[in-house]
Amino acid sequence: MTAQGKTHFFSQAWLVLVLAICFGGLLAGMQIVLGPTIEANKINETLERVPELVFGAAHAKELSETGMEIKPLSVGVEKAGKTVRYNVYETKSDGRLAGWVTKSAGQGYADKIEILIGFDPQVEKITGLFVLDQKETPGLGNKILEAGWRGQFLDKSTAKPLAPVKGQAKAGHEIDAITGATISSKAVTDIINTAVADLRQPLTDKAKGQ
Amino acid sequence: MTDNILSQTPETESAAPVIHVSPSPHLADQALTTQRIMLDVVIGLVPVIAMALYMFRLYAVKQLAICVISCLAAEALFARMRGRAVPLKDCSALVTGIILALSLPGPAPWYVGVIASFVAIGIGKAIFGGIGMNIFNPAMVGRAFVMIAFASALAASGYQDVNSSIDAVTQATPLDTFKQTGVVTPLAALFLGLTNGSLGETSALACLIGGIYLCIRRSASWEIPAGVIGAAAVLGGIANLVDMDSGWTVLHHLCGGSLLFGAFFIATDPCSSPLTPKGKFIFGLGVGGFIMLLRLFSGYPAGVMFAVLLMNCLTPLINRWTIPRPLGASTS
Amino acid sequence: MADQPTATERFIQGILPENPVLRQLLGLCPALAVTANMKSALTMTGAVLFVLFCANVITSLIRNLLKPHLRIVVFTLTIATFVTIADRFLAAYLYQMSKTLGPYIPLIIVNCIIICRCEVCASKQSVFVAGADAIGQSIGFGLAISAIAAVREILGTGNFFDIPVLPAAWPDWVVMVLPPGAFLTFGLLIGLVNWYETVRAQRPVREVLEPAQSEGA
Repeated sequence: MTAQGKTHFFSQAWLVLVLAICFGGLLAGMQIVLGPTIEANKINETLERVPELVFGAAHAKELSETGMEIKPLSVGVEKAGKTVRYNVYETKSDGRLAGWVTKSAGQGYADKIEILIGFDPQVEKITGLFVLDQKETPGLGNKILEAGWRGQFLDKSTAKPLAPVKGQAKAGHEIDAITGATISSKAVTDIINTAVADLRQPLTDKAKGQ
Repeated sequence: MTDNILSQTPETESAAPVIHVSPSPHLADQALTTQRIMLDVVIGLVPVIAMALYMFRLYAVKQLAICVISCLAAEALFARMRGRAVPLKDCSALVTGIILALSLPGPAPWYVGVIASFVAIGIGKAIFGGIGMNIFNPAMVGRAFVMIAFASALAASGYQDVNSSIDAVTQATPLDTFKQTGVVTPLAALFLGLTNGSLGETSALACLIGGIYLCIRRSASWEIPAGVIGAAAVLGGIANLVDMDSGWTVLHHLCGGSLLFGAFFIATDPCSSPLTPKGKFIFGLGVGGFIMLLRLFSGYPAGVMFAVLLMNCLTPLINRWTIPRPLGASTS
Repeated sequence: MADQPTATERFIQGILPENPVLRQLLGLCPALAVTANMKSALTMTGAVLFVLFCANVITSLIRNLLKPHLRIVVFTLTIATFVTIADRFLAAYLYQMSKTLGPYIPLIIVNCIIICRCEVCASKQSVFVAGADAIGQSIGFGLAISAIAAVREILGTGNFFDIPVLPAAWPDWVVMVLPPGAFLTFGLLIGLVNWYETVRAQRPVREVLEPAQSEGA
């Protein structure tokens, strides 16, 4: 029985093996052809946003033809014994440092919120904000996507941590919270405040070094 | 009873008397019909409605009219679709409409009430097979639907209309004020209901008067409100002990939000709550516990609706736990 | 074996009489998860059509070589290959859509529609019949999930294919684009189909009965 079972092994399984090899080859070919495009898509998704977060939407278009350089960096920050890594994009125009864009994430009301923040070279003010990924409540929390709300953050000084307030924002560091979605609004400002606190030192050092 | 049967059958006078025994339940009080219970609920709701009309004037009139008319229309429509006689006489649709209206914020747009009513009667009740067959409290199903559908109209900010001529509506609700700014509304205002909120929830006094009437009439089981209030008092007390300085005491917890309205009028719905007294008490405890959990730890200002719906899911389980043991049956 | 349905029968059966979603209740995961708008529903249909067609054709080609106890392994292998191809293809050419659909494209592997069709039809019938069956079932799947998606997108956002169709005053029923909306729409749709089937099933019975009654009278 066992001897028979062994001789039968190949006669039983040859089809599966042949198919596995054929399909494996097919998938490998597929990966060779499409792999680069997929990688490019992933990088472009973030990279496309970088110019407008540093220069503003109107300016970014003109500049994109002239000499603009975007260099992805990974900046490690020591925090409570752990190293937190940020993906930072260094933006140069005509060889001079024009600003930084960093990817940062934090807990929102429903799920993680992932945003891109633009800073000037000295990390003194915010030059742009873009929400990459969010799953906040449609109709309330997902208003963080709206350009009008995000626009408030433009040119805000990073000297004081930003604070969302209900009703009308008065002081310079205050942000109008979205009505009915205080938690989402606070989540976004918290992500920005953390990123500013973590990155101010390393990025200004880098700017000086150049 | 036997006399009656014998007199009906004069030919078999010599035969042994026939005694008819119907299977349980042996209803002692034939007058305890759906219609009577529902009318009692309407009477119990009168103080609440009166308070809502006094506080919110036209907002309350509008919301009540919309919800009641839509609920009755929906009931008639769905009964017709199912090929049944239109059961408007049992008043259950009327009660659903009133409770739904009282659980909505005054400034909510008209379509909120209409959609909530149709969902309440259609998805909350008709789909399950009409009155008595529904698993969930219909009014709360309707409210949950619009709460998620029109989040901005029913979130804390939906209660406020700054340009309104009615004072109450221009303020934020007491629970929201407390959550956002830590300002505590005076207890007297909470008790009498001189605050903003869902139309029927503001006045603890009105809810108590109507609720106690219902319990005395036995149209609502006292075990459920007792459980809700008990659980809320214990958890509110713990929360108060943990955070002594907040000024939001147990009594604030009990009088604020729609806790009492929910305890007396929503959780006591006979179709979707357990059958036995013990089960009812457990059900009440669960509702009260969930209300306090949601109030203390969730993003929603008050959680009566979710608490009742969650416990409705558990009703069959509670019924199974609390099957009374027949006299003389062994414990094992 | 002699009574196997023909290609045309297979094709038509897939569309309504044996609609995979509404009659067989298969493939419910995508039917609930990616029906928030028409575009993702149609992309999903395209992916299912591609995978089902390829899997059916391959299975049908090798049906005489299949060992009964190894057939599920072969089906899964075939399906997984084509699902991976579909997934990579979307990531390369429709990147945003592939992000929206997220894990639901890879999840086609465990979609019962496909393994069911391999088992029921492709492993027993010719390539032509298997191909027709795949197309029929995919159209049925597409119709069902587009119906759900149409209701959800129109009520939930006032748009259809991202084009506004309802007046701007329309209050978006946000619940419809959230999971509860999917369950409600799907339940009501199944109810509607069942009701239609009952009505249709009753009609011929009455026609048969009526002459018999008149004879009796």
